[in-house]
Amino acid sequence: MELIAKGIDISIGKKEIVKNISILVKKQQFVGLIGPNGCGKSTLLKSIYKSLVPQKGMVFLDDIDVLKSSEKKVSQRLGVVGQFNEMSFDLSVQQMVMLGRTPHKKMLESDKKEDFVIVEEALKRTNLLDYKHRGFLSLSGGEKQRVILARTIAQQPKIMVLDEPTNHLDIRYQIEILSCVKNLNIGVLAALHDLEMAAHYCDYLYAIKDGEVYAHGTPDEVLTPATIEALYQIKCQTYTNPVTNGLGFAYGI
Amino acid sequence: MSEKGLNKIGMGNRYYVFIFLLIGIILLSAVYSVSIGQVNIPFTQSMDIVVHALTNGRIGSLDHIQSESYLNIILQVRMPRVIFALLIGIGLALCGTVMQAVVQNPLADPYILGISSGASLGATFAILVGFGSSAFLSQFGVAFGAFLGAMITSMAVLILSSIGGKATSVKLVLSGVVIGALCSSFASLIIYFANNAEGIKTVTFWSMGSLASASWDKTPILAIVVLLGAALFLFQHRVLNTMLLGDESAITLGINLSAFRKIYMIVTAVVTGTMVAYSGMIGFVGLIIPHITRGIFGADHKRLMLGTLLLGGLFMIWADILSRTLIHNVELPIGIITSVIGSPLFIYMIVKRGYNFGG
Repeated sequence: MELIAKGIDISIGKKEIVKNISILVKKQQFVGLIGPNGCGKSTLLKSIYKSLVPQKGMVFLDDIDVLKSSEKKVSQRLGVVGQFNEMSFDLSVQQMVMLGRTPHKKMLESDKKEDFVIVEEALKRTNLLDYKHRGFLSLSGGEKQRVILARTIAQQPKIMVLDEPTNHLDIRYQIEILSCVKNLNIGVLAALHDLEMAAHYCDYLYAIKDGEVYAHGTPDEVLTPATIEALYQIKCQTYTNPVTNGLGFAYGI
Repeated sequence: MSEKGLNKIGMGNRYYVFIFLLIGIILLSAVYSVSIGQVNIPFTQSMDIVVHALTNGRIGSLDHIQSESYLNIILQVRMPRVIFALLIGIGLALCGTVMQAVVQNPLADPYILGISSGASLGATFAILVGFGSSAFLSQFGVAFGAFLGAMITSMAVLILSSIGGKATSVKLVLSGVVIGALCSSFASLIIYFANNAEGIKTVTFWSMGSLASASWDKTPILAIVVLLGAALFLFQHRVLNTMLLGDESAITLGINLSAFRKIYMIVTAVVTGTMVAYSGMIGFVGLIIPHITRGIFGADHKRLMLGTLLLGGLFMIWADILSRTLIHNVELPIGIITSVIGSPLFIYMIVKRGYNFGG
């Protein structure tokens, strides 16, 4: 399944947050969005998963018009790992992950055996099997994020949107989460902050500045000292990391 | 507990045992409630009357009943009263659970959307200003006024909170507070200018809640409204569960909460309005029963809902028993009883069990 967003314009109040952005996620491609805080990454993602209605533009999942389709139809194909994990009530990890089956259920349909199998599988993929009966609210930030990821996996989406999924997580959880997503072999659109992670995991990158696409291409094409300096207003040198052979960054003000 | 049972519902078959146990205790409590009261009717005789009435005269006989008035007391006073207690307990617990999910706030209760102050204003108006003068109409007028007040305020809250986009839970709570304050001040204004000590006393009594007006002719409406509401929400667990996650997550799971929120609020407003009209304000039940049930069954509405309804009914039956028997020959307002039992129970849950709203 492909995700296409074309000519998206979003204004909130009088401020234009997103200006004419177009994005393409090809089948099984891991696409990253990078850019400074407040550049419009999250807002753009919200318009893709129907939380915000853009003033202009269109969003398609293959031939499904996201903006005109029901939330249910979209959520059967598009899963979202967001930053909103605050709850006033507590559910067990298993119940939380089971909620990922909601889009595939009719209102009165009960949870079948296969749903429990799918949930079990999602818990296994995210290393959460031992947490099944723990309360969600008792978990640490990294564990909560994994539960949300497990819920999204149980949703069995063809495309996954992640909004800064590794925020506040330590290095191990960052790697665990991104590797887990990568191994799903589905189309991914992720807003990321860590450039080394972006270089390592993404097949394609969009660099966003002031609500516009500043550059796009493979990580090697986009993550140049000049682009990074323009995006974040810091000095930056790139090098090939001698240990990983991946792209490395040295920053300075 | 079998491994399979554990997988399916996380607490094995305990859930079903609990539910059957609750139903059994409710039946026993109802029978006990019918047999006690200010008039001392021997237990065997009250059982005879109940069994005789329930089986339409096929089982049991009324031959050895000592007084004709016993029949009246049991059948026309106590039985409808138990039914009322059960229904109102079910209704309050139902509306409390739903409102807590709708506004995503554990402090919500059925009255949170200004329904209480609206109903109070309506009742105060009916008692002190009045819709009519005859005794029957004035009695009917209180219920009517309270219902009307509850409906108007909840609609006003709904409309106010939808101005300028989606009705978020914060906007709902704030609108409820504002409209509630407005209604309370109008009610105070009426009381301030009313030169009617008896009426003011009636208003005060009404606001404390009472099941004394229970009768068979009022039962059908209450039963239909409460049971229809309960039947609806017993099958809404998917939506109610996603409500706990908030609007943003719910959309990514394919459910647009804003529409459901409105429907749920209208339904709870009708149920709460009907209950308030018949029994006045009975506080605390709608707040604590859902929490106590979450402590037992967890916050997943699939199991929470039925448990809450039964526990709410049971709680009210016992609150009613206590209100009639705690002080000899005095009937205490049931709202006082529910708060007096409810608050220490709630404190106990928070302090002792480290209650985490459903964990």
